[in-house]
Amino acid sequence: MSDGGGESGSKHQQPHTKRKFSGDDFSQAIAKVAVAQICERVGFQTFQQSALGKLADIAVRYINSVGKAANFYANLSGRAEGNVFDIFQGLEDLGLDQGFSGASDINHCLASSGIVRELSQYANEATDVPFAYAIPHFPVVKDRKPKSSFLQIGEEPPIEDIPAWLPAFPDPQTYFESPSQNERASDSYTEKIELGKQQRKMEMSMVNLQRQFSESGPSSFVHGDSSKEKKTVESNPFLSAPLHFEEKEVSSVVLPAKLSKEVALQNPVAKKHVVDNHISVMETFAPALEAMKNRFCESREEQKNIQLDQRPPVQFKIGVGKKSLVKPLKSSPQNMDGGKIDPWFCKENENDERKGDLKIF
Amino acid sequence: MNHNNNFQQSSDGRHDDDAALTEFLSSLMGYTPTIPDELVEHYLAKSGFQCPDVRLNCCLCFCRIRLVAVATQKFVAEVATDALQQCKARQAAVVKDKRDKQQKDKRLILTMEDLSKALREYGVNVKHQEYFADNPSTGMDPASKEE
Repeated sequence: MSDGGGESGSKHQQPHTKRKFSGDDFSQAIAKVAVAQICERVGFQTFQQSALGKLADIAVRYINSVGKAANFYANLSGRAEGNVFDIFQGLEDLGLDQGFSGASDINHCLASSGIVRELSQYANEATDVPFAYAIPHFPVVKDRKPKSSFLQIGEEPPIEDIPAWLPAFPDPQTYFESPSQNERASDSYTEKIELGKQQRKMEMSMVNLQRQFSESGPSSFVHGDSSKEKKTVESNPFLSAPLHFEEKEVSSVVLPAKLSKEVALQNPVAKKHVVDNHISVMETFAPALEAMKNRFCESREEQKNIQLDQRPPVQFKIGVGKKSLVKPLKSSPQNMDGGKIDPWFCKENENDERKGDLKIF
Repeated sequence: MNHNNNFQQSSDGRHDDDAALTEFLSSLMGYTPTIPDELVEHYLAKSGFQCPDVRLNCCLCFCRIRLVAVATQKFVAEVATDALQQCKARQAAVVKDKRDKQQKDKRLILTMEDLSKALREYGVNVKHQEYFADNPSTGMDPASKEE
């Protein structure tokens, strides 16, 4: 704490970075304030921080020494509790450095010691300067809630030999290994494998679909309702075969009952327009797709199967006549990709989350 | 016989002393020391001086705490007074040299220098370690330093 005697009156305060507070800081701070007040009474106007801290520290040590000495004398007299005379003796011990009248007289009565006289003199002369703040009683002892016993809970101890008035055992959940963690690890791995398989299957089915469309036309519209492989929404857009103009692919998706009726109604309509006017198809599909989009957004967090059943939100940028804009409309995998980007990415996020979970433990 | 006389005298004296003591202790109750009671109680408890619970408004215990508080205040005041004297002496020395020019800043500052000089009389060594470059004799043997 010795900042050095070189500084004179510099009250430069360094910015306090986060410093840890020890248990003693409060009392030290109070001591500083009290000592500063005393010094102010004596005549000082300003203080060096280090000097003030040092003097406060010394005052605290003085109190400690007095207490220690007083306790020693009390114990010496065969008492556990100190009294005023023990304090007097302690003060005498500490005051021997400075000296007081009657110090050499070893048989003197404590009541008449020079220490007492000096103290009473000081108390009479000095004017009252009460402490600046109101301090609560410290240190504050935290109330510890005792653990409830078997009786209080109403449980019976598991083993006969344990008496009921003892504290109860903690919940088994607190000390059993939660199986979910381990399962999660293995689950994510298996899930990844399954996901890969499904993706591959999906791609294969997409290729098949294209072939079928090119061969048989749009009659085979809803293909492979039963095929669960097509439930995977994500297919790698970069791996799917490029589609030609006027080729419309619609992913075969098992729609929920509510929406499937709408789509079924619209589908035959769409079939007619498929080849000719892509825009109209999109338009007809738009409400259903919007509905599905909403549903998809809601159920995003749900199981994979449910996600895969639903149609991903297809995000169209409908342009008229321009090939570059129409392309994303036509090529449904790309449409789906456009729409699938959301789930695709969010899937990735989920995987990342799972990876993150892995990393945690 | 002398012993008896002494004893009588001392017993009379004792009464006076007791009276003075009780007077002093009672006056303590009226005097509020600057050092708060809670702080003193905390550190006394830390050092092992057992005191019954002050919160029960025990007069005796209050007495003890107040006593230690007053004693500590007296000690700090003495040290501060000595430091003040050192500070004033230093300022007077400076002013003597430069009396023609402006007087030095009259603010009295508690510095480590003055404090260390004042505390040395009380047996407390708070001298800080000198910087190596401050003094040409820093770091040399004490014997050669004195030379």
